[in-house]
Amino acid sequence: MAPARTATTPIVLKKSSYYLLGTVAVIALAAIGLTRTTTTNELPAHSADASPGERIFWAGGCASCHATPVDGKRAKGDDKLLLGGGLELDTPFGVFHVPNISPHVEDGIGDWSMLEFVNAMQHGVSPDGRHYYPSFPYTSYAKMNTEDVMDLRAYLATLPEVAGTTPEHALDFPWSVRRGIGLWKRMNLKSDPVIDVAEDDEQLLLGRYLVESAGHCGECHTPRDGFGGMIASEWLGGAANPDGEGKVPDITPSGKNVSGWSASDIAYYLESGFTPDFDTVGGTMVAVQENMSRLSADDRAAIAAYLNAVPAAHPTN
Amino acid sequence: MYKTSIRISVLACALAAATLALAGDDPGHERHELMEGVRDAAKPVGAMMKGEADYDQATLMTSLETFASAADQLGGLFPDGSEGGEAAPAIWEDRAGFEAAIAEWQDVTAAAIAANPATLDDAKPVVGPVFGACKNCHDSYRIEEE
Repeated sequence: MAPARTATTPIVLKKSSYYLLGTVAVIALAAIGLTRTTTTNELPAHSADASPGERIFWAGGCASCHATPVDGKRAKGDDKLLLGGGLELDTPFGVFHVPNISPHVEDGIGDWSMLEFVNAMQHGVSPDGRHYYPSFPYTSYAKMNTEDVMDLRAYLATLPEVAGTTPEHALDFPWSVRRGIGLWKRMNLKSDPVIDVAEDDEQLLLGRYLVESAGHCGECHTPRDGFGGMIASEWLGGAANPDGEGKVPDITPSGKNVSGWSASDIAYYLESGFTPDFDTVGGTMVAVQENMSRLSADDRAAIAAYLNAVPAAHPTN
Repeated sequence: MYKTSIRISVLACALAAATLALAGDDPGHERHELMEGVRDAAKPVGAMMKGEADYDQATLMTSLETFASAADQLGGLFPDGSEGGEAAPAIWEDRAGFEAAIAEWQDVTAAAIAANPATLDDAKPVVGPVFGACKNCHDSYRIEEE
């Protein structure tokens, strides 16, 4: 057995040297400016309207993270409109503290310009030019129509101001190096759709838009690679729970939890929170379902049609 | 010695059998059965609400009576020492909140029964809160088992 051990040891050393080299290369690339922020300087000619923006607010699930918890519990009812932040996301990368996005001028985003808001939502860049961590799902929001983002901004401006700021994120090295996110974005920030659907099927196009962009369903339901990028070939195929124990289920046609669900079953689940078996929605999906219940029946039907049309992530199941 | 252990074994078996016969002494089992009954009663109502089944007032009223009876029994099925299963620790940590959630279910169910809705359009606004009560209580007081 002794020779085998001596044969193994140098390989392990080699692997770690490669890892070290890789890390050095990443830092070097970062140093030569690949991590610069990319933003847009032009807004589409669009007059932002708060009324359609409310639909985007619920589709986008802003309140699920940004509404200030009440007595340590998830905000419910009208408390979902108090976006003072404060929720903690305990992830394998460290703890994220969700910030205040209420219209408060000093503590929230009240003094942001429309352009700054769009750059935050679709490019993951703060008004002072820093990269946001992708815990803020801008990789999905990048796929939104900018007009919808502008309407959302108009709606957010109508909500109550909430005072108070939240702590900085407490992340472990190397995730604490914010500049590295620039590289990550180069690999993962894309504005084109994930799944091909018939370009003349308006319902599927709407469903794809709601699921892939604003709804950001893939952020939890799609597994990620070693660098935290979503694996497109397993789109919505289920993943480890990013915030806690257990798994987030496969919601493609191969998913055991949604096996045999018709489009009307999915739509009714999103409306009422009841599965076809008459069990109730649970876990982090409760907040999502409550948001979806605020959408129109047409929007929910479109989401359902899209979910039944996506490729099975695990066809052999 | 040998005889004694046989006697003990026989006694143990008899006790086990008695325990099985008196499954009513197992609150975990009892509340599970009760909730299964509620779910079975909810299914035909859900089918009507979804538009998959024709509206039938008698079916709705039967289900509502099942809910009312279950809501009356439910609070007594979580005595100290019966923690576990899908029952969240919050039931024992926040008893008042749990009982308020049950009271809410009783209230909206009683209101739906009193409304005695003749049509689907009449039923929807009173059934909605009943289903909402299920979801609200589960959200705080039920945990999902793997």
